[in-house]
Amino acid sequence: METLNFEFPAGSRGVIRRVQVGIVASGNLEVLLEPAANAYSSVRVRTSASGYSGTWKALLQVFFERHDVAACIEINDCGASPPVVLLRLEQALEESL
Amino acid sequence: MKGESFSERTARERARVLLDQGTFRELLDPFARLESPHLPLQGIVPQSDDGVVVARGRIRGKEAVVASVEGGFQGGSIGEVGGSKIAGALEMALRDSARGRPIIAVLVLDTAGIRLQEANLGILVLSEIHAAIVELRRYVPVVGVIAGKIGCFGGMGIAAALCSLLIGSEIGRLGLNGPEVIEQEAGIAEFDSTDRQLIWKTMGCRQRMQIGQIDLLVPDSETALAETIAEHCENARVEPSAAQRPRTQQIDLQQKKISDYPLLERIPERTNFSARTSANSHGLRWFQALTANSAGTPGTEPVLASDVQWGGETVRAIAVVPNRAARFPRARDGQVGIEEGWKIARSIREAIIADEGREKRALLAIVDVPGQAFGLNEEILGLHLSLASAVDAYATARRAGHPTVALIVGKAISGAFLAHGLQCSQILALDDESVEVHVMSETSVARVTRRSPEEIASLADLVRATARDIRSFASLGAVDQLVKCGGSDSLDARCVESVRAKILEAIGEIRMFAREPRMRLDSPASQESRKMSRIVRKALEAEWD
Repeated sequence: METLNFEFPAGSRGVIRRVQVGIVASGNLEVLLEPAANAYSSVRVRTSASGYSGTWKALLQVFFERHDVAACIEINDCGASPPVVLLRLEQALEESL
Repeated sequence: MKGESFSERTARERARVLLDQGTFRELLDPFARLESPHLPLQGIVPQSDDGVVVARGRIRGKEAVVASVEGGFQGGSIGEVGGSKIAGALEMALRDSARGRPIIAVLVLDTAGIRLQEANLGILVLSEIHAAIVELRRYVPVVGVIAGKIGCFGGMGIAAALCSLLIGSEIGRLGLNGPEVIEQEAGIAEFDSTDRQLIWKTMGCRQRMQIGQIDLLVPDSETALAETIAEHCENARVEPSAAQRPRTQQIDLQQKKISDYPLLERIPERTNFSARTSANSHGLRWFQALTANSAGTPGTEPVLASDVQWGGETVRAIAVVPNRAARFPRARDGQVGIEEGWKIARSIREAIIADEGREKRALLAIVDVPGQAFGLNEEILGLHLSLASAVDAYATARRAGHPTVALIVGKAISGAFLAHGLQCSQILALDDESVEVHVMSETSVARVTRRSPEEIASLADLVRATARDIRSFASLGAVDQLVKCGGSDSLDARCVESVRAKILEAIGEIRMFAREPRMRLDSPASQESRKMSRIVRKALEAEWD
């Protein structure tokens, strides 16, 4: 297991509700999304697949470029592929607005 | 969503669909952040709810609580946090129901049993879940639902058998030992875990329905399950009539089924039987020493029971011992098998009936059980149910006022220990290297958790609940006294006398105050080692109403 922490500039939209989606099952992940507590968006990733820090950073970059939001996100990942990660993040975001 | 597959849903969605629309209120939700502290220590990513969803709500207007296990996370395994959520929910429902405010409990079971990474913490939590079910079902229906892809195994299989109403779906499976574990422990000739047909014929809910081990079989549909449960909760009679006694109490019927059963003899005997015989069984030697009874012809009877008079106390000592002549070969080393569970239950029930309306004799479980029996015959007949009958009997005796004491003199392993020992008010143990408490053999743990035996051994230092020695187990707060006896091979009279005195002392304490398994959490040792069990219950109580 590897723990990664990222920060991104806060977007203009805040999230309204905190939301949990997904399961920590093989090839899947859990996302917890809540209103940002700070002046930036923070993401903590715990993943069973170590050594993919660069991939996570690029992936989260894509998410925050697509969505102009401020949020505090926790990810518990069990080896999900990048498209699955993006799908879960967007699912969580949709439910939180 | 109507009529859609129940098994495709997450634990949270399953809980929601079983409750009246708009009444679902989750307790200790993911943002309560009560996750397993033990998994990250072992390099495993935890889940925010530890794989158990607890929700309050209503079923046809009646108050209810649902505990739903997520089979997708770690095989639905029961760790300290998730297990405590289930136990805590049952205990709260019991508190309110006993005060005249009935709260129906529904357990959605999609679980492989105790989480091996949390090992002995899981065993203890399971004993608390068992105790709570036996108690709660006196007041309200406790409904078990087995309708997920994992099925329901291990200590949770025993929990299922204790439910007052058990509902299975076509895709559900129920048993004690899962296919992989039987294959690992007893060999591929005993059980080929890749043989899907064999698995279904042995432990599928359809088979369980045919032999009366579940109450209702429904299709894998949300609406079908929700409506079936609702109808039964609506019409449920709390006090069952004599004819509808819980199946864990139908001893005559079940023992007859077992003796009528044509044993599948094609299974070759495992060749690596351990050298446990009546000659080197700690359990037998302690039984004989304490009861001064060398009768009972060792080697022919797997469950020994004898009443002794100690001072003013009558004590029924019960031991499961090796029996080379056992009809079921998998139980010959002293395992708790299909016959043994029911025999323990019978012995206890006889004492309960004999002592009705007078001084209740004490019950002493002499524990040296190397595990449950791993075998095909056992699973076909329902080993989970046999073990549940013993759990039920001990819990019922404890409730009825019989002081119950367990004395661990050898191995106290897994389901066998749950059935024979863990429901007792006090647990005494010999402080000796040969005394062990754990969940599963190293090789099976290695197979199920996909780790090397070396990795597993090094874990024991990090997570003490996974260690096997009795001192580590005692550090979890479940042992009332460790008794030093200078090597369990030398049973000298002085040592036996001191153990007897400690047992009597324990009986005296229990006569003043009979502790239930959950009260082990009040012990000084558990304050730190079972911190999460305590935090979960406290938080659950705070969010209950």
